[in-house]
Amino acid sequence: MNNNDIDFATIWQQQKVNQPNIEELLNKLKQFKKSNLQKLIISNILLLATSGFIIFIWYYYEPQFITTKIGIVLTILAMVVFVFSNNKLLSVFNKIDNTKNNNEYLQSLSELKTKQKYMQTTMLSFYFITLSLGICLYMYEYSSIMTTGWAIFAYFITLTWIGFNWFYIRPKIIKKQQIKLDELISKFETVNKQLNEKE
Amino acid sequence: MIFEEIYNTYWQKIFRLCMGYVNDNDIAQDLAQETFIIVWQQLPKFRNESNIGTWIFRIASNNCLRQIEKEKRIIKTELPINLKEENQESIEPKIQMLYKFISELPETERIIISLELEEIKQAEIANIVGLSEANVRVKIHRIKEKLMQKIKENEQ
Repeated sequence: MNNNDIDFATIWQQQKVNQPNIEELLNKLKQFKKSNLQKLIISNILLLATSGFIIFIWYYYEPQFITTKIGIVLTILAMVVFVFSNNKLLSVFNKIDNTKNNNEYLQSLSELKTKQKYMQTTMLSFYFITLSLGICLYMYEYSSIMTTGWAIFAYFITLTWIGFNWFYIRPKIIKKQQIKLDELISKFETVNKQLNEKE
Repeated sequence: MIFEEIYNTYWQKIFRLCMGYVNDNDIAQDLAQETFIIVWQQLPKFRNESNIGTWIFRIASNNCLRQIEKEKRIIKTELPINLKEENQESIEPKIQMLYKFISELPETERIIISLELEEIKQAEIANIVGLSEANVRVKIHRIKEKLMQKIKENEQ
């Protein structure tokens, strides 16, 4: 069999598929736009609701100590940042110029994943630190009314729980996330090497 | 250039590129659709510095490459796939075989050979992929040899 380019190209171009109606595609586009807008609205509502909640607690319970107030704010802030970094924020960092050439695109993809790795780890640590600090500060006002023994006990329990999270849960989550991202990074790099290997 | 025109001109080409990449009709349709969504979003930013074809093929091939990430994620694209589908069973075995062999190549080679078979100039392919023209020429030659090899093995 004597093969030349034309054979391949002709066979290749015979592959046909029904082209979806443009109206259908435009409809999908509208939906796509709408759902993006919805996501934006929802995340803003979430932010407003959280702020409202902080203000409510502040006025309703009328904590006397400034530490309690700071504690509340830190705790809620931690949770909000965590939720956002998991959803909204990451998509901001996910943007890569997809009109680059493949070579550059693959490089940006692995850079992006490396950045994501750093972000996730930092965010998670930030979350735990802020949350722990918030809880400890929040407790201060109430434990100051307790007897010393009970106060120490309360802090002991809390700190044990925090320690467990910090030394056991946190590294475990980080490890899991990193394994996933490392796999991706190495895959992107392998593909990129296909282009840059010396002939 | 208006979107509709681009869509009509490029749908088949983009579909074939995606099909060569994944050799799966559903996924290829998804990828092609995603490509046109990106094209639609980016179109206002398109400057006439480069050829529109090059620009679209860059988007399409990058989107295919990004597929790697999705394979890991398992979650299928949110974009609806239930655009009417005629069955593809009737395609000739020759076509099926070619697409199958191409989809078995390393990722970037799939893209390069697809573009070549789409009869895109090698200078443009170089521009889409990000290699020198000489390099592209060598690669295309090697890939074709590989394909020939596969076909021969298959015939035996």
